[in-house]
Amino acid sequence: MSAPAATSTTAASRERDGEPLIRATGVWKIFGPKAATIIGTPDAELPRTELRAKTGCVAAVRDVSFEVWPGEVFVVMGLSGSGKSTLVRTLIRLIEPTAGTISIAGDEVTGASPAALRDLRRHKVSMVFQHFGLLAHRRVLDNVAFGLEIQGVGKAERHARAREILGLVGLEDVESSFPDQLSGGMQQRVGVARAFAGDPVVMLYDEPFSALDPLIRRDMQDEVIRLQAETGKTMVFITHDLPEALRLGDRIAIMRDGAIVQIGTPEDLVGSPADEYVENFTRDVPRSHVLTLRWIMREPEPGEPVDGPRLDVGTTVRNAVPVIAESSRPVCATSGDEVVGIVDRDAVLRAIAGEGG
Amino acid sequence: MTTVTETPIAVPVVAHRPWWRGKIVQSGAIVAGMWIAYRGWGGDHPWPNGLVWNQLTFKLDDFQAWLIEKRLTGGGGLVFSIFDGFRIMCDHLVAWFFDALTWLTWLGTAVAGTLLAWRFGGLRAGGWALGAFAAFAVTGLWLESTETLALMLTAVGLSLVIGVPLGIAAGRSRRFGRWLTPFLDAAQIVPAFAYLMPVVLFFSIGYAAAVVATMIYAIPPCIRITALGIRRVPVNTVEAAASMGATRRQMLGKVQLPLSRRMLLLGLNQTILFALSMVVIAGLIGGGGLGAVVNSGLFSNPALAILAGAVIVVMAMALDRITESVAERTDPARRHLDAPAKRRLRLQSLGVAGVITATVVVAKLLGVSGDFPDYSGVRQRAVTAQEWLLGQIQTVLDYVQDPTSFVFQITEPVGNFILTELLLPLQGFLVEAPWFTTLGGLTLLALVVSGLRPAVTTLLMLGLIGFLGVWALAMDTLSQVLVATLIAVLIGIGLGVWAAESRTVSRALRPVNDVLQTLPQLVYIIPFIYLMPVSIVPGIVAGVLYAFPVVSRLVERGIKDVAPDAVEAAGAFGATRRQVLVKVKVPLAGDAIMLGVNQGIIMVLAVVVIGGLVGSGGLGYEVAQGLVRGQFGQGVIASVAILALGITLDRVTQGSRSKRKESME
Repeated sequence: MSAPAATSTTAASRERDGEPLIRATGVWKIFGPKAATIIGTPDAELPRTELRAKTGCVAAVRDVSFEVWPGEVFVVMGLSGSGKSTLVRTLIRLIEPTAGTISIAGDEVTGASPAALRDLRRHKVSMVFQHFGLLAHRRVLDNVAFGLEIQGVGKAERHARAREILGLVGLEDVESSFPDQLSGGMQQRVGVARAFAGDPVVMLYDEPFSALDPLIRRDMQDEVIRLQAETGKTMVFITHDLPEALRLGDRIAIMRDGAIVQIGTPEDLVGSPADEYVENFTRDVPRSHVLTLRWIMREPEPGEPVDGPRLDVGTTVRNAVPVIAESSRPVCATSGDEVVGIVDRDAVLRAIAGEGG
Repeated sequence: MTTVTETPIAVPVVAHRPWWRGKIVQSGAIVAGMWIAYRGWGGDHPWPNGLVWNQLTFKLDDFQAWLIEKRLTGGGGLVFSIFDGFRIMCDHLVAWFFDALTWLTWLGTAVAGTLLAWRFGGLRAGGWALGAFAAFAVTGLWLESTETLALMLTAVGLSLVIGVPLGIAAGRSRRFGRWLTPFLDAAQIVPAFAYLMPVVLFFSIGYAAAVVATMIYAIPPCIRITALGIRRVPVNTVEAAASMGATRRQMLGKVQLPLSRRMLLLGLNQTILFALSMVVIAGLIGGGGLGAVVNSGLFSNPALAILAGAVIVVMAMALDRITESVAERTDPARRHLDAPAKRRLRLQSLGVAGVITATVVVAKLLGVSGDFPDYSGVRQRAVTAQEWLLGQIQTVLDYVQDPTSFVFQITEPVGNFILTELLLPLQGFLVEAPWFTTLGGLTLLALVVSGLRPAVTTLLMLGLIGFLGVWALAMDTLSQVLVATLIAVLIGIGLGVWAAESRTVSRALRPVNDVLQTLPQLVYIIPFIYLMPVSIVPGIVAGVLYAFPVVSRLVERGIKDVAPDAVEAAGAFGATRRQVLVKVKVPLAGDAIMLGVNQGIIMVLAVVVIGGLVGSGGLGYEVAQGLVRGQFGQGVIASVAILALGITLDRVTQGSRSKRKESME
């Protein structure tokens, strides 16, 4: 497979409107004494344990840069301790970044005054937390309305809006319950509803479903996909669960020891992992579920007839299998009306068997 | 943060040492050396006069005279005006609360207190309130109780005004919290008895002095618990509010305060208990009320002193149970009110207010007075049982002091044993051994047990004590403290281990411990003045009673907290229950036991010096004399020496623990 070429076509050639919504450049977060002085020195390049032994500081996020485009679901994925939760907190300065610049929806976040920062948090960004962070002393309705209450919205109005959102996530019946009377999944629905209530531009999810049972987790993922499709919100989603990342993410950033190892679409990561670390991660992913025809097609040989059944080049291998099985001719992969490649049975079988790449 | 901060947990490895480097062996050698010196030169080398600042007493007396003169003439500038203003405010506040409570009439006060306790704390709380008022009435100590309540309201109120904001600040700002902690720690080791003299100096005898002494005692726990409550609010919830753009003020009012409300009310509970335990001592410096009755009755009318002590105990327990159930019942994070429940509560509040108002109005119309046995009425004495109670108490007192009685057969030998077998030898040893071997020996002991810094502290503090000219007195007090601590720790460890192993024992001990911990310090001493009438012994027994519940509780918890997998593993290897206890649980609970010794010794010191009031000698006696006879200089010096002793004992017993903690970091 011609992997490197494919990377550039999938990730970079996607059409995007205008400016990125979130832009993070060179973000660092170092915990410890005199953290700021470390950046730029050779110490900053040290592996974590050595840095800690030498300076007593811990580098949670190291030199991270990325962009998130409007309407995109951007997943940050890594093992625990990789710095992903710290990273998402630096985006709205729940944790103050040590260095770097961040801007969201045209507003400079780093360097914003407390008032401007509050304004950003109130109107543009909202966050869903791993352990829900609901207010135990308030009813569900008042929890969902809390963001509006903080903005100074009147009681009648904010309750009306909260009821509307509760309807959206299917929680109408529990508006008078208290959080500890609900199951974990229900509580996180309240958390999601609360984040939606302020009608933010960007939603940040910090491992929102890790604390839930697998079946409920799946339901919640579906819910997020549905809401995203309905509202078109931009999302930054933190997870340590690869299947979750692959399911939700338009693009995925893999973090390790505070740094981003690779950013790409699910097929980029599975098809052409940047290094052994990413490869180990993605090894067990069923390739046919992620890879598209783009990864297994070949150039038409000169004079070869392109009269087989046509499939879009973005179709996953799995979904192409029935068509190929039915047809005696190789399938033509198309982009628009143009035939860009040929996929024969051999290639499909090899992809399903996990070979090549 | 879910990031990176997981530190590898260092296992406290004990390096192999040759036998002569073991702590026990070295300590034994040091004590043996001191003993030999004592046998050789006992009594020959008291603290040399040349090393004493003899003038200090006079200087302090002069200073006091100067202060009094300044106060009388109204000179002295701003500082004096502030102190005086505060003094006057305290006096007025206490008087105002007292007037308010008497204005309500005894009937109105009792009804109001009971109904309010019922409304916010439930039926049991109401019952406790009613019981407490009944106790005030039946004992014929209504007015005294009211005065004590007024003092409490003032002291607790002012403590909250200062303590809660500081606690909130310490809970929200880690830096401020860290800055405040050493002060709180220090306040905890100062025996209450030691700061009476300085307080009297600045506020003279009266309500104000009593209020201030109580506040000094009650504010630190108030700050601590408030800060803890704020810090315990789940991080995620605080973060969530921040992520929605809450201002600092919104965060406090809408998130942190409501969610920490239960802890804040428990802080109130502790503040009240600490304040109440100072009431008797405050009676010494003009607090009035029940404390004054106890103090004046100690020698002239023991039965009355015991009765007043009992009323204080009832008051303490009632306030404890009431505030605790209010804290539990009104916690907004747990009590989920729906609309009808809210309406019901509102109706209840209205009803309570109505009944209280009606009661007061009716009582006023009937001419009910503020004191309970209403002397304006016809049936005067019939309603209190004071005479009868005093008679009963006196009978018991006569019985226990009768040499032919059964109880005397037990208490007398026990008291004598403690005195002749433990106290006197140790006292003789510490007081009479050459001063330099004692000073050096104790410093070396501190070095061996706890390390260099505690040893330096010990040397400095003991040196200071000698320099102040109270070496012999301090050694006397030290001997009492050591004996009482030894007994308290033995009892505490025994009971703690037993309670950890047996549920029944644990359950049986809990109420006893609770009661013992609720009691004011001086109240412990009173019964033993009569039960074990050997000058020094009451203070020691009281110290033991005061300290052993804490020791046993810490030991119990320490043993129960030992990792269950370690215990399970030992069981899997076929260890007997006894082997598990001796080889696994007790060694692993070592830190808890050490903490028990540390806390116990400080608590013992606090009580033992109070024993000075009832003639146990030592530094406490000097303070008592200073207070009673107005011998100011002497009292202040003894107070400072008590403080120095407290610091030494704390550092020495704490040292090994903090050393280990450091190495684990």
